[in-house]
Amino acid sequence: MSEMSSPDTLCDSDPDPPIRLDLPPLSASLFDAEPPDPQQPNGSALRPSSDPSSPSSSGYAGERGSSTATSVSQVEEVLHHEIEEISIHDSQSLSIDSHASWLPGKRHNDEDDASISWRKRKKHFFVLSHSGKPIYSRYGDEHKLAGFSATLQAIISFVENGSDRVKLVRAGKHQVVFLVKGPIYLVCISCTEEPYKSLRGQLELIYGQMIVILTKSVNRCFEKNPKFDMTPLLGGTDFVFSSLIHSFSWNPATFLHAYTCLPLAYATRQAAGAILQDVGDSGVLFAILMCRHKVISLLGAQKASLHPDDMLLLVNFVMSTESFRTSEAFSPVCLPRYNPLAFLYAYIHFFDNDTYLMLLTTGSDAFYHLKDCRIRIETVLLKSNVLSEVQRSLLDGGMHIEDLPPLPRSGSSHLSQHRLPSDSPERLREPNCAVGGAAGLWHFIYRSIYLDQYVSSEFSSPINTPKQQKRLYRAYQKLFASMHDKGVGPHKTQFRRDENYVLLCWVTQDFELYAAFDPLADKALAIKTCNRVCQWVKDVENEIFLLGASPFSW
Amino acid sequence: MGCGSSLPDRDSRQLGRPSENGGQDAKNLRVKLVLLGDSGVGKSCIVLRFVRGQFDPTSKVTVGASFLSQTIALQDSTTVKFEIWDTAGQERYAALAPLYYRGAAVAVIVYDITSPESFSKAQFWVKELQKHGSPDIVMALVGNKADLLEKREVAVQDGTEYAEKNGMFFIETSAKTADNINELFEEIAKRLPRPAVS
Repeated sequence: MSEMSSPDTLCDSDPDPPIRLDLPPLSASLFDAEPPDPQQPNGSALRPSSDPSSPSSSGYAGERGSSTATSVSQVEEVLHHEIEEISIHDSQSLSIDSHASWLPGKRHNDEDDASISWRKRKKHFFVLSHSGKPIYSRYGDEHKLAGFSATLQAIISFVENGSDRVKLVRAGKHQVVFLVKGPIYLVCISCTEEPYKSLRGQLELIYGQMIVILTKSVNRCFEKNPKFDMTPLLGGTDFVFSSLIHSFSWNPATFLHAYTCLPLAYATRQAAGAILQDVGDSGVLFAILMCRHKVISLLGAQKASLHPDDMLLLVNFVMSTESFRTSEAFSPVCLPRYNPLAFLYAYIHFFDNDTYLMLLTTGSDAFYHLKDCRIRIETVLLKSNVLSEVQRSLLDGGMHIEDLPPLPRSGSSHLSQHRLPSDSPERLREPNCAVGGAAGLWHFIYRSIYLDQYVSSEFSSPINTPKQQKRLYRAYQKLFASMHDKGVGPHKTQFRRDENYVLLCWVTQDFELYAAFDPLADKALAIKTCNRVCQWVKDVENEIFLLGASPFSW
Repeated sequence: MGCGSSLPDRDSRQLGRPSENGGQDAKNLRVKLVLLGDSGVGKSCIVLRFVRGQFDPTSKVTVGASFLSQTIALQDSTTVKFEIWDTAGQERYAALAPLYYRGAAVAVIVYDITSPESFSKAQFWVKELQKHGSPDIVMALVGNKADLLEKREVAVQDGTEYAEKNGMFFIETSAKTADNINELFEEIAKRLPRPAVS
């Protein structure tokens, strides 16, 4: 069911037409006129409630907790979802601990296109050469899929022979999306109902990941020998690709084209930035300090800018490569948006399990210099307690919807006010009570257009299983695609109600807000709540974003 | 990894720093060592056994190259600090190998005694180093996974003969059981050319 407020602005071509409505503009007068929500006097009356046995509200399992705690049956269970239709009433999966549900690496290597299980997988990715040689397949053994690859190649070249390009084929519930990148063909076959643009964006990222590993000069191998077999060149990179594909179902950066920061006190982030700047003066192209997938601080040398997609691919490459955690490393990497033809050299060092430093240069002989830089950085980080603050932030998490302050308020607020660490047992939770935050707010993502950064609220009840998180993620992705569909015009707001959520999206020149509410949420209240969220983000922007000079050029 | 200099070393912008500049005397050697060999022969396992005394049976692919160091004391009361480049064995990194072996005083070329292909790959690396490595490089040929005797496909004699022909030192090791790992590095240390006492 959809709710309409202005029927003249229906979108076409969408089976579930998004409705535009006139949202009150985010203005000071609006906030002044808004009395504090009487039901939520301090914005914290509704405490998160979730099963005490899953103490995580710190996001999706993609943040990879301890993978050793995952049993094989759990992994199988999760994989099972990729085959099964998503159903709200499928309760068997709810028992999965959101911490440990995904193991990296290739699976089902024994399958091929004759296996029933292979055919039933909901989402396939293939990479093949223009001569039809398999390069990568998400499921199954590439070599056994030679015939299947040849078929895909035949479809592409048949259309190309007619001086045309195949982009999308619909077959029942399945979409087949094609992307041609010179001699490399990428294909996605999916029945996940994701928009074409999203799937195509995912293929672009897979291609980008390949460039990160090999640079675009791999094309020369095909010029010399059209039948060139690229698989040996990608030896040992299954983890990188499976981890990237997994991130398509949990990491908003894959469609927002923005990065996210670890919440930190302004002074702490400044301290980290200052020492990076220090080494930046000595010939480092990019200095990036990360905690898991989140930025602590980063700097680029003059005129060097780092695209958020490059950052995503670089971080995925580093996070999915175990050997970087074992010892410091020096590896060639290519940043496709920076220069797809050349390698940069990355010095990579993990300070602990979560926090790591990447120093990128153009010089292949810079290792000892970068190592010295790292030692200086590490000394400063330890002295100024940045590393312990990072660990604390990991425990506390970022923005919890239960902490949404009421409007209007006076004084500045801090993220950590009135809040216990999310993992603390004192944070009482009542099971089976799906409440969320104010006015039925369940979750939100705020993307700052100017900063190329986004912030996502922590997941909490009732969005607390990986499956529910994935479903919400897909809903956001769809919303994003519909808001950015150039054919439909510049949508400013969208209000969409279905059996799972009320989704509210608001796009301005400065930011985009995506919010999910209880499906029974009141529209007027939801809109008010969105205003409160925007104000809240502004209040704490010092802590959740990397501010100051544009981080990519100083 | 405890060199705590707070200022960047002006002469340090080279992978070959340790063997090329000073910082060593007759009693305390510092040498750059590079491990080469096919993917999956156990280069990282050898290094981790030597440096940390650990063995992790779950194979982790090395990307680029890892850097580790370990100091050993010899009976003649000298010490040798090995600065070890553990390189990735994948084909895509072959072209980048000179980056890591340039200026190396020692090359350890590893193969897997259960894999004849890895033995041919080792021979490729020997030839490459003879052509492009330092002229006085100390080379060791290592047959790893010696614990997998029942799966052996490269005879001890093949290794010995090839090493002898090429003026290398040969040893079979097992990173899993720690067999001959320390012996490998001690033997290398003994064979290092000593700098003239200044």
